[in-house]
Amino acid sequence: MINQKDLLPKDMGRSDEQLIKLEVDQLMPLLAPYDKPGMEPAMTDPKPAWKEKFCTSLDGYVGIDTLIRPKSKEEEDEFVRKFLSGLEKIFSDANNGVLEPLLLTFEYCAKCNTCSDACHIYTATGNNELYRPIYRSEVLRKIMKKYFTKSGKLLGNFVGADIDVNWETIARLGELAYRCNLCRRCAQTCPLGLDNSLLTKEIRKIFSQEMGIAPTPLHTKGSMLQIKTGSSTGLSKPAFLDTLEFLEEDTEERFGIKFKFPVDKKGADILVLHNAGEFIAWPENPVAFALLFEEAGLNWTLSSEIMGYDSVNYGLWYDDFQAKKIALMQMKVAKDFGVNRLVVAECGHAHKASMVVGDRMAYGDAKIPVESCLPLLWDMVKNKRLKLDPSKNNFPVTLHDPCNVVRQLGIVEPQRNVLKAICPQFREMTPHGVDNYCCGGGSGFAIMNSQNFPQFRDSVASRVKFNQILGAFKDTIEDPSIPKYVCAPCSNCKGAMRSIFEHYDATEKFNLQYGGLVELMVNALVSMKKPYLEFLDKE
Amino acid sequence: MLLSFIAYLSIFLFVGISVYKAYKFAKMPLHGRMELYPVPKEKGFEHGGSFYEEVSWWSKPHEVSHFREIMEMMKEILFIKKLFENQRPFWWISYALHLGIYLLMAWTMLLVVGATTELNGIFVAANSPSIWGLLIYYLTFVTGICGLVLGTLGAGLLFLRRMFDSTLKKYTTPQEYFNLLLLFAALFSGIITWGSDLSFSTARDVTANLITFTNFDATGLQIINIILVGIMLTYIPISKMSHYVGKYFTFHTVLWDNSPNVKGSAVEQKVKKATSYKPTTSWSAPHIKGPSAPK
Repeated sequence: MINQKDLLPKDMGRSDEQLIKLEVDQLMPLLAPYDKPGMEPAMTDPKPAWKEKFCTSLDGYVGIDTLIRPKSKEEEDEFVRKFLSGLEKIFSDANNGVLEPLLLTFEYCAKCNTCSDACHIYTATGNNELYRPIYRSEVLRKIMKKYFTKSGKLLGNFVGADIDVNWETIARLGELAYRCNLCRRCAQTCPLGLDNSLLTKEIRKIFSQEMGIAPTPLHTKGSMLQIKTGSSTGLSKPAFLDTLEFLEEDTEERFGIKFKFPVDKKGADILVLHNAGEFIAWPENPVAFALLFEEAGLNWTLSSEIMGYDSVNYGLWYDDFQAKKIALMQMKVAKDFGVNRLVVAECGHAHKASMVVGDRMAYGDAKIPVESCLPLLWDMVKNKRLKLDPSKNNFPVTLHDPCNVVRQLGIVEPQRNVLKAICPQFREMTPHGVDNYCCGGGSGFAIMNSQNFPQFRDSVASRVKFNQILGAFKDTIEDPSIPKYVCAPCSNCKGAMRSIFEHYDATEKFNLQYGGLVELMVNALVSMKKPYLEFLDKE
Repeated sequence: MLLSFIAYLSIFLFVGISVYKAYKFAKMPLHGRMELYPVPKEKGFEHGGSFYEEVSWWSKPHEVSHFREIMEMMKEILFIKKLFENQRPFWWISYALHLGIYLLMAWTMLLVVGATTELNGIFVAANSPSIWGLLIYYLTFVTGICGLVLGTLGAGLLFLRRMFDSTLKKYTTPQEYFNLLLLFAALFSGIITWGSDLSFSTARDVTANLITFTNFDATGLQIINIILVGIMLTYIPISKMSHYVGKYFTFHTVLWDNSPNVKGSAVEQKVKKATSYKPTTSWSAPHIKGPSAPK
């Protein structure tokens, strides 16, 4: 192992068993009440069997469970060859959709290091060199220069082409690409407007699109499953319809409200697209949408068509081919349906996928307008289409801004306007809005649960967010009788919240709760006879 | 004559290569949208908002302020705003170099104007009877001294900082040290060459000879300075120091693009063209079948 302070980009090729090891006492300190010893689980070592099978030689964590150690020299050589082939391709016309931003970022980094302080992972690790945003980028540049530039071939070390390329180098680089949430906060501070997360994603793309290697939850059980069954949850059409029926009955039983989800309704104005994970993990969210839309009198529907009831698009995080395939399939379903507009519910990456990334994948009649649920929800509150009683939400509430929604789409005000209107004790995190920090679950982390990866996510990637939450509730955090609600209008972010609250036992100890925006809105509805939020009902 | 040729050629190469690079970026294939808010031209710039904050955004006019975009771009170009906001200690030396270069560009132009003025019989000096002559003299005096001092100081301090900062030195290649040394050498040689006559009348005389292709007895220092500046001007656009070209594209066409593909828009035409392109290279992973992206 190497002292992280001495770590150089070229060390990625070293034969060490593990480059660095993270320890809790080296991480960024947590705020009270988690500043006391013993409040946080220790960091663990990878199991010996994992070392044999996976790449644990970076920092001991396994993010890519399909990245298997080679059994022979031939396999190792083939692995390196394929990576280099993919590296060459990202600069070819196979990658036209990214070529210009990629070349700009690749070419012009002045290495001023401004990006480091903006990175929540680098900060969380106590400024560990391995997680500095430009560390990963520099490794990629060095390999590229060594193999594919004239200057690198002629001048070698002089231009930085000084790295040994072997299985360990490439595999570590692949793992390191999954130590970044792709939140793009670093790009926001770059004086040259360059984007380290773009290079990170290109590494993930090379692994997936050329080498066929990607984390199982993202690929095999993610985008591939969605293309096959219509949903990354594996939820088939009959199962989806059964789920809706169950939720209708359950809502009637719990709240005495009789309603039906409009499904495949002809002549509907709006098609609502949920992250299908909501129906399984947080069904109160799609139910809340239905209750609000019905009360506001919107002409809306859900779709039961394959690809029509799951908004997710994991391709965004690791594979452009998958992203495009899914986006186009979703677009076709919406178009065939004949609605006027598609409204994306509370899922951050689905917002980005359908509104920004998918925006230039088709044109003309193949597209229908897509909008976020957040302005629509604010419109319903602003125009008093809902009868709301803010006193029902009289407990501390803070807002987590999903990166995809704020920094990458510029939807900042509607959600906080709603909260200001319905939550008397609403308070902002610091920083917030477009300057927010990622929840730590971004770019697939929230669903990557293989081997010891959750520990990296919960202790490191979500650390800055957890501190922001503790800071927002510092006046009441130690009083478990007061519920404290983190509003996270994004499925992925909710997944991250669930994990960190479990990791720190924060709900049990300090009554920290999380959920979406619509749940708070329904809870404030005058027509609700009992609290919609379960934690209020218990009291 | 040879020095005139070097001066003209290096300026021609500097401008020509820079423009060629800009042309290459401008002609690159349409890329996917990668905006990062706040986007200056957007109405909601103050809070980082966009047109997506409106219900049925596609049916409303997309209000943009190109003036605000230009203003924000000027803040970046003239003051390196992001570095100032996010890394103040580094900004001081980086800005010294950049401001020094801007002032030296102005100084060079003022020397040309001054030389032309004198060729037209107007005296450029502190005791010139002409207001124009006085104006050019003092502007040349201020920009020359400030430019040479700030530029040299900036290049030198950036070099030293990279050498001795434990983080930066890990990421600095020998070529990047060379880049800064070349700048320092060209600028420092400027101080030695022209600093002995702070009225810059010698510099004006040399400039007059250079622009009129007149033979003159150049001193050794003058030859060294002109050659070094010539090399620097030619090298900058082929190195990553040409970030002045890239920066326009990273902001204007990538981070601040914000042009949705709505029916009848100019972007729609570009998307139409881009989607009809058949790539010559294809990916090899098993889940990607066929030679091109999915239809």
